Amino acid sequence: MAKTYEKKDWGVSYGEMVTREFMKNKLNVACLVFIVIMFTVAVLAPFIANDKPFIIRIDGKMHYPIFKDLTPNDYSVFFVAALGLVQLALIRRNKKVIEPSIRGSVLLKQIKINALILLTGLILIQVFTPRRLDATDYKAMVTSGKATAAVFPPVPYGYARTDLKVREQPPSKQHWLGTDDVGSDVLCRLIHGSRISLSVGFVAVGISSIIGVFIGAILGYFGGKVDFIGMRVVEIMMAIPTFFLIITIVAFFPRSLLNIMVIIGITSWTGNARFIRAEFFKLRKQDFVQAAVSLGLPLRNILFKHMLPNGIAPVLVSATFGIAGAIFIEAALSFLGFGVAPPTPSWGQMLSLGVSTTGRFLWWLSIFPGLAIFFTVLTYNLVGEGLRDAIDPRLRKAA
Amino acid sequence: MSDNGDILKVNNLSVSFFTEDGTAKAVQDVSFAIKKGKTFALVGESGCGKSVTALSIMRLIPTPPGEIVNGEIFFGPRDLLTLNKKRMRGIRGNKIAMVFQEPMTSLNPVYTIGDQIIEAIKLHQTKSTEQAWADAVEMLRRVGIPDPQQRVSEYPHQMSGGMRQRVMIAMAISCEPSVLIADEPTTALDVTIQAQILDLLDQLQEQNQMSILLITHDLGIVAERADDVAVMYASRLAEIADAKSLFDDPLHPYTQGLLKSLPRLDFEGKRLHTVPGNVPDPLHFPTGCKFHPRCPLGCDDRRCQTDEPELREVRPGRCVACWYAPGYGR
Repeated sequence: MAKTYEKKDWGVSYGEMVTREFMKNKLNVACLVFIVIMFTVAVLAPFIANDKPFIIRIDGKMHYPIFKDLTPNDYSVFFVAALGLVQLALIRRNKKVIEPSIRGSVLLKQIKINALILLTGLILIQVFTPRRLDATDYKAMVTSGKATAAVFPPVPYGYARTDLKVREQPPSKQHWLGTDDVGSDVLCRLIHGSRISLSVGFVAVGISSIIGVFIGAILGYFGGKVDFIGMRVVEIMMAIPTFFLIITIVAFFPRSLLNIMVIIGITSWTGNARFIRAEFFKLRKQDFVQAAVSLGLPLRNILFKHMLPNGIAPVLVSATFGIAGAIFIEAALSFLGFGVAPPTPSWGQMLSLGVSTTGRFLWWLSIFPGLAIFFTVLTYNLVGEGLRDAIDPRLRKAA
Repeated sequence: MSDNGDILKVNNLSVSFFTEDGTAKAVQDVSFAIKKGKTFALVGESGCGKSVTALSIMRLIPTPPGEIVNGEIFFGPRDLLTLNKKRMRGIRGNKIAMVFQEPMTSLNPVYTIGDQIIEAIKLHQTKSTEQAWADAVEMLRRVGIPDPQQRVSEYPHQMSGGMRQRVMIAMAISCEPSVLIADEPTTALDVTIQAQILDLLDQLQEQNQMSILLITHDLGIVAERADDVAVMYASRLAEIADAKSLFDDPLHPYTQGLLKSLPRLDFEGKRLHTVPGNVPDPLHFPTGCKFHPRCPLGCDDRRCQTDEPELREVRPGRCVACWYAPGYGR
């Protein structure tokens, strides 16, 4: 039964309207393309910048070192990206094949199954992938003539590989963006650093959005005493300078990526909570919420199924700005030496190497990571702005 | 009033709103009964407590500031006011459903019509999504929406006000409730659509043996559609009667005033009668009979100014709250 369902021009949902409005602006599209490219680079980082070759012939035997060298984290990233693509493909397919009546519930089922696969897959990968360290210097083998027919990635350096012979070198043919204080290739570290920045951005914002939405929803719906006490707590949280709070907390915990994500997440939910609270105040008096109550729906459905989709817009916008903010905070933390521990590459940490211990100013170590941070943050801010305009066209007219 | 055949009984209901300016007694000592399969109309001016009465039956009074301070609402053998939240949810939408005044804002803009109807069906009945969806299409067909197969997957903003009110009614009757509370269901609609919606309610009532509590300020609708009528004034019931006797022989001076101020086809050239004065402020009700400052009977009787008349049965099936009403017995 290859029945297809045509999308009529007037049968558009709110989400489709916003998407269409968003795509009208060329700058927004450019930003989206930039983000997609960044994601691709981040996901495929080990294939773009690695000191292991794809293929190498040693003593007449073919080897594939790059695939053997992948860490559990690499596999996890690939897995998440693949599942995301599958989900996107499914959504596209649903629109064509699934009857409109059950599309919503089918999508929900798919998401649930995918989330389950995601969790189990991640756990399995982390537990069962062997962690090996391949310290073989394949390039030396090629130059010494021991190995032949080697195909290296475009940036043939490892992010953790040090080479004291070439430390603090400006951009050259071998090292396009120069090397740092221990002789690691800057371009390679930039590429791998994008993973840190993006994952911090998304996970931290995810955490802060969930906390903020949940607390804001409860305060806004119940109002009264609950709201009064809750808002005082929120205000106390807001009165504390977040960055110093984060530095203080980070100082007490091991310097791992996960800790930094969680800490940024749990310290920056207050804005979201206030947005959602304000929206829910407005929404709870609306007739359709009353109607939902009068149909006997449980509170959970009323809050998160009927009210939240109508009040999520400001949170979506602030989430995009939040991603930029989180990337920025992570860079700042790393710059100050509170970020992820070396050799894990991070843009902020590279930036801090710009002034070397010998007092020389290594401009390539300041400019390139600086530009990376600048463009990423700028892009997310532009997307946030575009989203805000698409969601509320009145704002754009006023501006 | 006989007990048999009553599906919903409200006894001595009092609702107050505790605000910063004082306590507003929105509903005081209201009692009435709705018969199975009949339409009971609750009539009154804006702010007299009609809607609060309806919301109390659904237990939808916003608390705080509102509170049901006294009374019982019997639905069958159960007092709705003593049910816990979970069991009350089982009643709402399932046994007692409500249609709101504003069809334009009563539907959630982010979901299709079908999604909203099947939500109620799936909540109260054990049905698969496909079955519920088929039910939703059937409901839309029953409320007279053309091309329901197609319209069911549309969004509310693609429909007109009359259509949306039909959808609201479809949603309300989707679980075949025994009582439908219609809170000014036609106020926001134009006159031809009003008639259509009311005809639809009549027709559905006949099919489902459903009782309707019709809340309105339109006496024309009441005369045409209601079986029994309660007139409400300033948080209290002034008079209860079956529709025919109320219109033929109103007993309360307020009811008389209202009927006199209706425009009539055979009444040419003269100014319409008005009830002088305004509805009293619920924070500062007058003492005694609340209608006495506006009462055409003069009320030089001190009793009107000091003692509030309670609703009394003066004839079989007729209750009134006025010291001057024949048979009231001062």
